[in-house]
Amino acid sequence: MATAASPYPASEQRPNVPSASVRLPAVADYEQVDREIIATLRPTLGWFALLATAILCLLIGISAWTYQIYSGLGVAGYNPPVMWGVYIITFVFWIGIGHAGTLISAILYLFRAGFRTSIYRCAEAMTVFAVMTAGLFPILHLGRPWKFFWLIPYPNWRLIWPQFKSPLVWDVFAILTYFTVSSTFLYIGLIPDIATMRDRETNPVRKAIYSALSLGWRNSDREWRHFTRAYLFLAAFSTPLVLSVHSVVSFDFAMALTPGWHATIFPPYFVAGAIFSGMGMVFTIIIPIRKFFKLQHYVTLNDLDAAAKMTLFTSLIVGLAYLTEFQIAWLSGNKYEQQYFWNRVFGQWAWAAWIMIICNMVLPMSLFSQKLRRNPSWLWILSLFINLGMWFERFVIVVPSLSHEFEPWQWTTYAPTWVDYSILLGSFGWFFMWFLLFCKQLPIMAISELKEVVPPKRKHPHPEEFEHSRDEGIAHPQVTGEHELPGGLGAAGGGTH
Amino acid sequence: MPGIIGAFSEIDSAVEAIEELRRTRFNELTVYTPTPRHEFEHALDAPPSRVRIFTLIGGLCGATFGYWIAVWASRYWPLVVGGKPIASWVPYTIFGFEVMVLIGSLSTVFALFALSRVPRLTMTVGYDARFSGGHFGVWVNTTSDRAKEAADLLRRHGAVEVRHEA
Repeated sequence: MATAASPYPASEQRPNVPSASVRLPAVADYEQVDREIIATLRPTLGWFALLATAILCLLIGISAWTYQIYSGLGVAGYNPPVMWGVYIITFVFWIGIGHAGTLISAILYLFRAGFRTSIYRCAEAMTVFAVMTAGLFPILHLGRPWKFFWLIPYPNWRLIWPQFKSPLVWDVFAILTYFTVSSTFLYIGLIPDIATMRDRETNPVRKAIYSALSLGWRNSDREWRHFTRAYLFLAAFSTPLVLSVHSVVSFDFAMALTPGWHATIFPPYFVAGAIFSGMGMVFTIIIPIRKFFKLQHYVTLNDLDAAAKMTLFTSLIVGLAYLTEFQIAWLSGNKYEQQYFWNRVFGQWAWAAWIMIICNMVLPMSLFSQKLRRNPSWLWILSLFINLGMWFERFVIVVPSLSHEFEPWQWTTYAPTWVDYSILLGSFGWFFMWFLLFCKQLPIMAISELKEVVPPKRKHPHPEEFEHSRDEGIAHPQVTGEHELPGGLGAAGGGTH
Repeated sequence: MPGIIGAFSEIDSAVEAIEELRRTRFNELTVYTPTPRHEFEHALDAPPSRVRIFTLIGGLCGATFGYWIAVWASRYWPLVVGGKPIASWVPYTIFGFEVMVLIGSLSTVFALFALSRVPRLTMTVGYDARFSGGHFGVWVNTTSDRAKEAADLLRRHGAVEVRHEA
């Protein structure tokens, strides 16, 4: 089993190199999982500083929104006919961010992809908070935001119902369903972990809170039998749901006759882009977490490598979609469509389009290199470019189409104002505030699922576990990873079994 | 119901104990394990979970309601949009699908809670905080005349602690 003594001297041990049968070689037993994951909950000075920064950004956003409610939507940078701007761009951006979380937690669960185990909790929490952030933007975009509930079909004395053929109502159903199912999925996965924390907690107040949240869970075979089945069905529901949500968001555009929007390629293009952008945010979050919480032996280089391959794959799909759009315009023979795409890359909005192309198509090509896929520093830097590029992708979809429609006399420009930028900043503050609060109150890695991949103690160790540990020279649990390996770009020499 | 709880630090010892308990007709067993393990599933040979029935019924009800609300509201205010039928099934599939997922998922969660008998206000007898850590627990529901037999069996298979609880 994983704890068997290594036949190699300490200086020759290969640290933290996972394999098919031993996925977390530096994790010896269940108690270590409990100890190390629960230890991440202790607040630190750095955490308080980050939380204060996030709250400050949020307050800036709230102030700007208050000003906008008082003064009217005119203070945002709308310039007719460009009546969709930063709010709709940022709405699509945050919805997209959420998609990678569901992909990792649900779709990869169905595919039994092992690398999801250590990162899915973070990704799932990211989904819930990203959808909470996205959901604010259609409301921010309303002239009378306090009337947002008119979009929900509820019995009312005026006997008025929403227009069910409107993409805006489709959005309401898709996003509310997505938020409800994602947060349910997150909470259900958390119940056994909260029970573990309840059993380890000594502070009576915290113990009482954990007891209430864990619903009296006691890890019995009956509970697990129903839990595993329910989790499977929730994953099975979430999988088509995640594909439907961004398809529905894409319909907001594709249902209009506006050049650049009216295309059947939009749903798959949006879904791939959403997953790609979400993977970018997963790297942005998970790489500092594994470093500062010293969890490199849970989120191993193999896990990062696998996630980077998925990022590369989705980047290629997104790149293909960009090129296909041009091909569609070219083959359509529609001069408005052709004009629009020419204007996108060589005209008024070339700077934004090229930021998008470089960040989303060119830079991710670096992930063809295994050295770079296994270099956390590069992955983190690249993730920032992906976040930037995907925000600009939505900018390029929204603004150039509206500012360059059919009639030349309508052509105009668009520039966001300080109100737009403040609310954009506030959205990041809102998202990171929730995420930072989450990661100090609840486990950021799924304790019970990590235990599934750690071999349990046995009277008679399984031969393959024992043999494997001898062959691979399993490291001491304290050895954390890539820094011990030769080569300047992380653990490029690590196994890829 | 009184019973015996045995705590095991090794999974194979716990599995062997369960197998022998079932052979000796101790059939009312509960296993506590920090994470679901196939070894216990096989040893206990429990019937499949009934969660799926709730999922199916919830999903079907959701899909029906999703289509119905859109069709009903459209007929209530019969506005012709884009020359399309008043009740257009193509866009209304979005509502059918989304509400199916919503109600199906919530039914699944309801089934999980109902069948697992959570939330519960108190921990049942036999539970120990170690069972969410690194130990495996085997609870045997038994009468006092067979309690000693069950306790001996658990100890023989390597239980690190055996307790009588009522």
